[in-house]
Amino acid sequence: MKKIFIFSAMMIAISSTAYAGTITATVNGLVCAFCATGIEKTFKKQPAVEHIKVDLENKLVTINTKPRQNLDDNTITQLLTDAGYSVTAITREK
Amino acid sequence: MGYKKHSIIFTLLFIGSAADAKPVSYVDGTMVMQENDETGHTISMDYTLTPHYAVGWYDKWEENEKSRKDFSVHGPEFNTLIRRWNMADGQTNIFNSSSIGVAEGSGKTRSAAWTSFLADYETRRIFTSYEVRGMFADTIDKSILQRARVGFAPYKAGYEDVATWLMIQVDDHPSKTDIFVVTPLVRLFYKTALVEIGYSSNNHIMLNWDLQF
Repeated sequence: MKKIFIFSAMMIAISSTAYAGTITATVNGLVCAFCATGIEKTFKKQPAVEHIKVDLENKLVTINTKPRQNLDDNTITQLLTDAGYSVTAITREK
Repeated sequence: MGYKKHSIIFTLLFIGSAADAKPVSYVDGTMVMQENDETGHTISMDYTLTPHYAVGWYDKWEENEKSRKDFSVHGPEFNTLIRRWNMADGQTNIFNSSSIGVAEGSGKTRSAAWTSFLADYETRRIFTSYEVRGMFADTIDKSILQRARVGFAPYKAGYEDVATWLMIQVDDHPSKTDIFVVTPLVRLFYKTALVEIGYSSNNHIMLNWDLQF
């Protein structure tokens, strides 16, 4: 019985993690870390955001959302625009 | 107030302009800046309200080389991002900063107003900027001063790296003893902390820093 309980708990945990999404935005105007930190701080204020990474070389902003939470494209575009950048593409993966 | 005194105050304001940190950053961002250079000591703080507007406060103190008299200027600044072009490998901006404040000198306090236009273009390896600033204080008196910078980064710094820039700044301030001043400088920054160290052609050390949070 105990093993079944542990197995069930693990399955629930794995299932929850699977809901977390990875969103990648391609951004124009991303030229320095000084500016890119603005993106990081802006997105970290969003309750749905678990982690954010800025890749200056490839001009990508990768956003990991929390389990069962999401950021729609319009919100992402608005947040990046507020930070001073232009979005050229948004891709998602589960 | 005579033309020369106006010009001195104007010069203080111009040279005391931002160390090329952008006057409008990200929404809800605050920037503190302190500068020490041939013109004196400056401290300012700006808060970005929207993607296009920021407000702040500016203070500058200087001891005039000739008269040995102290001057200072103080006032709120209103910064506007007039236009930004985001490109795949670069960014171009045009900013305006304007203020109405006070100038103090020789035991007197006078009203003052100033405005500046700053244009910049930067990639991860190249930086250029040009600023023109005008000043009005007390009576009808206009002055124009200019500042230009060019720089390059010897390497492309990543997000987690310390970025290094080698720059040359040229100031044209006709009202000063040294009309043209050239300042080679090194800029270092890590994320939102920036330091600039230079030495001017009229033998003054430049030490500027910015912190954004």
